Amino acid sequence: MGTVFSFDVTYGGGLAVPRAVEAAVASLHTADAVFSKYRPDSQLSRLARGGLALAECDPVVAEVLRLCERARERTGGWFSAGYAGGLDPTGLVKGWAVERAARMIADAGAYGVCVNGGGDVQLLGEPEPGRRWRVGVTDPLRRDALATVVEGAGELAVATSGTAERGHHVLDPHTGRPPLGAAVSVTVVTRSLTDADAWATAAFAMGATARRWLEAVPDAEGFAVGGDGETWQTSGFARTSAARTALGIR
Amino acid sequence: MTTTYDGRAVRRHAAPPLRARRSPAPLILALVYAGAAAVLALWWTSTSTVLGTDGWLVGAGRIAGLLTGYACAVLVALMARVPALERRVGSDRVARWHAMAGRWTVSLLVVHAVCVLVGYAMQDHSPLVRETLNVVLHYPDMLKGTLGAVILVAVGVVSARAVRRRVAYETWYYLHLLTYAAVFLAFFHQLSLGAQFAGNGAAQAAWYLLYGGAAGLVLWYRVLTPIRLNARHRLRVESVVREAPDVYSVLIRGERLAELGAEPGQFLRWRFLSGALRWTSTPYSLSAAPHDEFLRITVKATGGHSAAVAELRPGTRVWAEGPYGALTADRRSRRKVLLIAGGVGITPLRALFETLPARPGDLTLLYRARDPESLALWDELERIAAERGARVYSAVNGPDGRRADISADALRTVLPDIAEHDAYLCGPQGLMEQAHAALRAAGVPGRRIHHESFEL
Amino acid sequence: MTRKPLRRIMLGTAATVSGIVLLLALKPHSAPAPALAHAAVPASSQPPSSSAPKASGGGSKASGGSKANGGGSKASGGAKANGTPRTSSPQRTQTVTGDTVQTDYGPVQVRVTLVGGRITGVTALQSPSGNPRSEEIASYSIPQLTREAIAAQSAHIDAVSGASYTSAGYSQSLQSALDRAGG
Repeated sequence: MGTVFSFDVTYGGGLAVPRAVEAAVASLHTADAVFSKYRPDSQLSRLARGGLALAECDPVVAEVLRLCERARERTGGWFSAGYAGGLDPTGLVKGWAVERAARMIADAGAYGVCVNGGGDVQLLGEPEPGRRWRVGVTDPLRRDALATVVEGAGELAVATSGTAERGHHVLDPHTGRPPLGAAVSVTVVTRSLTDADAWATAAFAMGATARRWLEAVPDAEGFAVGGDGETWQTSGFARTSAARTALGIR
Repeated sequence: MTTTYDGRAVRRHAAPPLRARRSPAPLILALVYAGAAAVLALWWTSTSTVLGTDGWLVGAGRIAGLLTGYACAVLVALMARVPALERRVGSDRVARWHAMAGRWTVSLLVVHAVCVLVGYAMQDHSPLVRETLNVVLHYPDMLKGTLGAVILVAVGVVSARAVRRRVAYETWYYLHLLTYAAVFLAFFHQLSLGAQFAGNGAAQAAWYLLYGGAAGLVLWYRVLTPIRLNARHRLRVESVVREAPDVYSVLIRGERLAELGAEPGQFLRWRFLSGALRWTSTPYSLSAAPHDEFLRITVKATGGHSAAVAELRPGTRVWAEGPYGALTADRRSRRKVLLIAGGVGITPLRALFETLPARPGDLTLLYRARDPESLALWDELERIAAERGARVYSAVNGPDGRRADISADALRTVLPDIAEHDAYLCGPQGLMEQAHAALRAAGVPGRRIHHESFEL
Repeated sequence: MTRKPLRRIMLGTAATVSGIVLLLALKPHSAPAPALAHAAVPASSQPPSSSAPKASGGGSKASGGSKANGGGSKASGGAKANGTPRTSSPQRTQTVTGDTVQTDYGPVQVRVTLVGGRITGVTALQSPSGNPRSEEIASYSIPQLTREAIAAQSAHIDAVSGASYTSAGYSQSLQSALDRAGG
């Protein structure tokens, strides 16, 4: 996945949580080895080439593909792991891996877990007693500023998809081209990062129709920044966002 | 002193060599391509990932830049008048390589500049114009590099076929000399900015060697060798003789000319140190076998330059470079030879006709011209033919102005065993193409058809 | 003899363009996959304090940073003492060095200065010198990273979504330094 993962864990003591963190780190490396598009020997690459049957793969491959299929249905085909004949669950696998890692640590008894995988964040519990999580969303057009801040308690997942990070890396599965007239970045807030990641990918590909679609998705809110600096958000997003802070120091 | 000069002194009648000399062209081309592959390998090994659109652009820009840098050195080396290239591959072929590679290089240069600047602008999130100014003004050696690039692109534009026709030869020539300055100016930014050279001593050394080698070849063969040649041979115009309407022979006297090593069929680049002529160096073939004291060229007075040659005064000093050209006896592989000349293209073939080792009946010359009056050197040719038992035919336009076509049938009528011949062609492009096609149709394989063409 | 310059030019152009595109396409198009790095997990029995979020006591940090180069860590205040309880005093000044990350131009490495657990500055410890292009990248990456880090912190941010595209090398080195500092 080629990303930096960082963990922020609050816990009471004992060895269970540190061990869970170690296991979570290991799980991310395993996920990378299984799902990397860029490693010709990854199970995914071999599966895509036909050199490996699904039954021979790690069971997580079938799980991720099932999740991809579900995401495809939920997004009306806008999320697709099968574009151009290849097998590419990239739009979901990072979120899934991060969420799984975060839940492993939380299940070991941590009070608060924050796992950030290259800007896709899964938060569980609370950072400090009585304080809500706060997640900044970078402004793709003003690199030293945050576009908004998302707040939430308990389970919170924030995923952003856009052109800001690596050029156009999301393609419209219907045309195979970068979406036209779309936002520069779309952020989806929900409880599960697997969903947030897939929906952000789909919403980004949808372009102008993303907002209406996200409004209809239960338990999910969206926020987007357009190329002209215009932003939009779903009607429920205000509940998750703090006062819009322009934190530019320019 | 008047001299009738017919080259009798060096006439040879030895048995013909039956093994044609191998051209080093495939080896040289293989070396050039291997160098390009090495340059690509340098990029490959020093690049880990290509990230995003800007990464693609900068990557493409770097590859194009590396290839441009490499090609510039190769282009300079190709034009360094290295004897192996000029005499064995052939000046005309090398010039065509140079022209082709030159177009390719200028295109790559544009790709390099555009991709790198757009890529950098995307990386830095700054407008293209500002990024360009920043790179040009503030990156080390980039002012020089930009100036070099501008000159190279200007030369490329002027050399393009459409523009080239409308630009005086001298303008084109001197602008071309500027490319040495351009390549020199552009050299520095390659090492100070090229990511592939950062901290890579071996790559830097190889690059210095490449450019040093090219510069050394130019210095040796384009500067020192001509100086030595002219100091040693002290060439002067001996006399100018009218051969046909607008065709003049210039006899040039020099010292110890046998040491020049010139062969019949070759040419030298001549610069007559008189009036405006001194600014131009022009290739003219030797129209008679070289002699220890004399060389002769025959010139058609068409443009301003060649017309001025007719007015040359005896005693005028001459600066010559050469000999060059691969239209020589050692390319031949068969006993029988057919020479086909068109107009003033007779000059190198006249020298070959006189000297190609041949038994009576082995040598045939076909000479095409507009009208009988234009058959320059005809008397000499008839005399040589008579002496050597060779045949000479002329083909002139009919009374209605129709050209005498050279067809396979016509060739077979004259020479029933045409397929057993080597053929040497020299003349205008149209005649060469027609003769080439006719010879192929008559069964002469391409490797036995020797020609020289300076149309690019 | 019969030359087809146009065909030659077309062929040459097609070969060159497809060659360059092929070379670029054959290179990986994502940052290098993370190798298993220091998963340092300090155990702590301190209850969470309620000061600035990142200065909280029981924080446990682990990172899967890029190429393992843990030897570059210089924690003056002993921030990363494996297995020892860590109490942050508000006045403590701490400098933490990030991993060395390989980029096209050579290795980059950043150092983070924290006062009382809060970032006050990011400096480039290693950036490939002698090449103005890499110096230019450093010149905008470092201030930008500093601003981002400080901005996120001053808003009491736990995490940032939609990581911005600076030079990936500097971001990775910074992240490893922050992980090492333990916030």
